[in-house]
Amino acid sequence: MHLLGGVYAIWLREVKRALRDRGQLIGGISRPLLWVLIMGIGLNPYFRGEIYGEVRFVVPYTYLQFIFPAVIVLNIMYTSVQSAVSVIWDREFGFLREVLVSPMPRSLILFGKILGGTTVAVLHGCLVLILARFADVTFGLDQLLKGLGLMALLAFGLTSLGVIIANRVRSFEGFGVFSNAIILPLYFTSSSIFPLDPALSRAQMTVIYPEWLIVLVTWNPITYAVDALRGVFLNFNQFDPMLGPTIILAMAVGFFLIALWEFQRN
Amino acid sequence: MPGSPIIELRNLGKHYGNTVALDDINLDILDNEAFALLGPNGAGKTTLLHILCSILTPDSGTATIAGFDVVRQPLRARKNLGVVFQEPSLDDRLTVYENLDFHCLIYQVPARERKRRIAEVLELVELSDWRDKLVRTLSSGMKRRLEIARALVHDSRIVFLDEPTVGLDVQSRARIWGYLDELRKRRQLTLVVTTHYIEEVENCDRVCIIDQGRIMAIGTPAGLKSDYGHQSLRVVPIDADALGEIRAAYPEAGQQDDELVMPVPDDHFAGAFLARYGNRVKEFVLDTPSLEQVFLALTGRALRDKEASGRERTYAFGRRGGEHTR
Repeated sequence: MHLLGGVYAIWLREVKRALRDRGQLIGGISRPLLWVLIMGIGLNPYFRGEIYGEVRFVVPYTYLQFIFPAVIVLNIMYTSVQSAVSVIWDREFGFLREVLVSPMPRSLILFGKILGGTTVAVLHGCLVLILARFADVTFGLDQLLKGLGLMALLAFGLTSLGVIIANRVRSFEGFGVFSNAIILPLYFTSSSIFPLDPALSRAQMTVIYPEWLIVLVTWNPITYAVDALRGVFLNFNQFDPMLGPTIILAMAVGFFLIALWEFQRN
Repeated sequence: MPGSPIIELRNLGKHYGNTVALDDINLDILDNEAFALLGPNGAGKTTLLHILCSILTPDSGTATIAGFDVVRQPLRARKNLGVVFQEPSLDDRLTVYENLDFHCLIYQVPARERKRRIAEVLELVELSDWRDKLVRTLSSGMKRRLEIARALVHDSRIVFLDEPTVGLDVQSRARIWGYLDELRKRRQLTLVVTTHYIEEVENCDRVCIIDQGRIMAIGTPAGLKSDYGHQSLRVVPIDADALGEIRAAYPEAGQQDDELVMPVPDDHFAGAFLARYGNRVKEFVLDTPSLEQVFLALTGRALRDKEASGRERTYAFGRRGGEHTR
């Protein structure tokens, strides 16, 4: 039972540090403003689901609504992967040792740390939710709770991924480049800013999009995370509604186990 | 008073590649003693401490703390431990209080006692006024004091201090030793200190001299000095006659200007000399053996690496291909 106090301490430290870091907070606020208010509103009139003047399938939502869940995912991705910076910081500035020589088991140290990063990431995801009414997205309490659950699970998986990456990076500068090189490609190829047409067969789809892009989108796990949040907030799924939550859960469990294995090994 | 062994090392070995860091170490550290590990950089002091903190695993042998094996029961072994590392390990974006509170939580200090103990240790290291300041605003001496406070706040029975005073000015160093002495008067505490400041180990109960991963000698500072050190007598005779007389009587004496230096074979030597020549010398100094001497005798080199002289630096610069023209 006493060990829970230790997990709480590690969690609290992560949250405090993140909330005191102005830069991170500014990023968390400006990103959704840019994507929802400027990109979303700007492209809204051009989004009608028609291709070459012909309506093949209809996304029954405005572009603003369509992009909204994806921006939540983007904010979570940035924040949780950034929280790996705190892992590098601990290692470089010696704080890691303070924790390693304590009577806390390593698994709980890692768990507390990732839980802290998760909390911050979900908070940043919620910053996007505040903009919901500007994007014409309305949802009830049950949708909100379901959404928060999925966001937390996604953030947990991505924070674990951040820790795994941090283990392979030696410097802060390296990490900045590395994380941008991961986040933005994953985001752009997750069907976040353009829909894939589920009504089309693969052969038909390759007429519209090049083969490589379709492969990237279908193999990108973030695609299904975005789809899961669309399912919750818009009741619109491009894929099987159960596929998204399953993949989010698999990422959370899988990445955490890898991070744990690595952390206990060294 | 020191009691039974609380830390026991048996045939402990560790190497990095071909370099032997610890070579078959056997050592008992007693409950409630101040124990110093003295040795030059790279002697294996820090490796030894890291094995005891279970950050490193030994290649061979065993180590126990309060009966718990550091490899097989690391969590329980660490529970009795407070550690001050060589490099700072504070979170400088948290306040002084938050750092201590964090520590109390991960060391499972009961909620009722947390506030009281934090206030107590802050008082001890004279940081009460800095309680709510961010750690990054503290000076390096203050940070070190905070780390010591942190190592004590969970009522640790054993505190490891790895070079606790390195990089601090003389005043801060004296202060830190003041706190430690004060603390040992107040409660049961085993201190294990590594240092290469020889004057700092004088007030420890026992000193272990370690070099190249091996224990060269263990004993009280006085015991080591009498075993490995040697006393010498320095006198300045009043005139040339006296000088000649003394030289004739003590042919082993060496002369430096008008000063004579002679080894002291036993405790009666100085008394006998004074009885005979007491009125023929104007200066009489009995050099007591120092740990520095002991160290030199045991390892064949001085503790602190001497800084390279200007000429050596220039040669080294030249060897690296440096240009002398500007």
